[in-house]
Amino acid sequence: MSNSLRPYLAAVRATLTAAMSLENFSSQTVERHNKPEVEASTSREVLLNPLIISRSANERVLIETSINSVRMSIKIKQADEIEQILCHKFTRFMMVRAESFVILRRKPISGYDISFLITNFHTESMLKHKLVDFIIQFMEDVDKEISEMKLSLNARARIVAESYLTAFGS
Amino acid sequence: MILLEHGNAIIQKTLSDKFEKPSALDVQFVDFDGVRYHMWTPEKKTGILLSMNIRCWDELAKYGAWDVLGKEYGAYLKPPAAAEPGYNVSLELDLEQAPDDPEARDALVKSFSLLRRHALAAPFVKAFQTQKQLDSLPDPTDGSAIPGGELMAIHYRDQEAIYVQASHDRVTVIFSTVFQEDTDRIFGKVFLREFVDARRLPTIQTAPQVLYSDRDPPPKIRDDPALPKAEDVGYVTFVLFPRHFTNPITAEATISHIQLFRDNLHYHIKCSKVYMHTRMRAGVAEFLKVLNRSKVEVAGEPVRKTVTGRTFSSR
Repeated sequence: MSNSLRPYLAAVRATLTAAMSLENFSSQTVERHNKPEVEASTSREVLLNPLIISRSANERVLIETSINSVRMSIKIKQADEIEQILCHKFTRFMMVRAESFVILRRKPISGYDISFLITNFHTESMLKHKLVDFIIQFMEDVDKEISEMKLSLNARARIVAESYLTAFGS
Repeated sequence: MILLEHGNAIIQKTLSDKFEKPSALDVQFVDFDGVRYHMWTPEKKTGILLSMNIRCWDELAKYGAWDVLGKEYGAYLKPPAAAEPGYNVSLELDLEQAPDDPEARDALVKSFSLLRRHALAAPFVKAFQTQKQLDSLPDPTDGSAIPGGELMAIHYRDQEAIYVQASHDRVTVIFSTVFQEDTDRIFGKVFLREFVDARRLPTIQTAPQVLYSDRDPPPKIRDDPALPKAEDVGYVTFVLFPRHFTNPITAEATISHIQLFRDNLHYHIKCSKVYMHTRMRAGVAEFLKVLNRSKVEVAGEPVRKTVTGRTFSSR
C-alpha cells in the first residue's frame, strides 16, 4: 500500500464508522413513510454536513450523512482514456447488479463514479464494522483491478504486435 | 491462437470429408469481410461446385484477379461467364478425376480453402511487379519526381478499404479501419501503438515499417471519395521493402499475412474485451462475498418435526 493511500483509507474508515450511527426515523412530512432522509431530504434538520475526503485532484470520497442513512460516493482515479473506459465498464458492471449488492446505488451521483447508500435497515441486519471493511476493501481493490486490466491489455497488445510482425521476417 | 489462419476451415473440412466419402452437399457459409461461399453438388455426388462472392470483386478483377486465380486453379476455375449466378467466382472439382495421392489431395484441399486469399492477392501481386518495373527504369536526370505506380483501392468492407501503391523502392499498403464502439477505438489505439513500437525490438527490425494515424488520412489516399468521414477511423500504413517480396515464397507469405491484418486486429480487440468481462465477473463475485460476510446470521427456531417426519410450524 502506498504512503498516501494508507492515511486516505484510514480517514475514510474513521469517517464512515462515525457516520454510521443511524436510527430508525419516519418521515416528518408524509405519514407512514420511512425514506432515507439523505435521498428524500424533506426536512433539513435531520441532514448533517456532507464531507469530502480527497487523496488527489481526481480521487476523492464524498460522505453525506443524515439521521437514518449515509450516502457515500467514490471518484476513482482515471489517468487516461483506457483507465476511464475500464473504470466506466467496471462500475457499470457492478451497478447493474445492485440488487445483490444491497447497499449499492443504481446510479452514482453526478461527479462521482459509484455511490453507496446505507440505511438504518442495513446497519440493523448487517455488522457495521464489516460493512465499513467492505467499502474500504472495494476502494483498495478497484484501483488494483483497473491497473491490472490495463497492464494485461498492454501486454496482450505487445505480444500480438510482436508475433504479427515477426511472421514477416521469417 | 495468436495469429488467424489464412485458409477457410469449412472448405478444408468439407472437402476432405467428401474425398473420403462422396455424398450430396449444399452448404452456404461465410468468411471474413463479408465473403460468401456456396458449396454444392449440382449434378452428381462427385462433382463439387464451390462459388465465392466477394464485395470488391470488380476492383480485384481490374487488378488481375482472373490471372492469379487461373494460375492457381488452372482447369478447376470456371470461365468468368460461367460463374454461378449471384457469385463472382466458381471452382468445379470432380472427385473422380482428382489425384489419388494423399499428399496431392491435401495440397488441392489446401489450395481450395485459400480461395479468398488468392482473390485478394491480385493487387499485391500487381504492385510487386510494378515495383520491379519501376526499379529497373533509370532515375530521371532532369530532377523530376520518380514515377510511382497506380494507387489501387480495394473496398473490401462497407467503410473500410486497403490501398496498395508501388513506387521504385517500396510498396505501400494502407488500411483504413473503422471502430464501431468507443471501447474498440481506445483498445485499437493501444494495439496500434504497440505495432508502431514493437518494431524497435532488435529481433523484428526486418519487419515492414508501420505507421499509424487516427482521423487524418495519409496524404496518398486523401483524394479517395469513398473515404469514411467519421471520427472513429484509424489508418495503418505498412511499408514493404523489396526484401519482403523479391523471393517468391516470401512474397506469398507476405501477401497472406498482410491481408489478415485488419481481421487479426479486430479479433484481438474482441478477445481483450472478453477477457475484461470474465475478469470483472470474477471481481464482482469476490466483492459480493466480502459484502455477504457482513450479514448477521439469523439463527431462527430449529425446524420441528412430528414423529412421522412431517414438519409443522406453530403460529
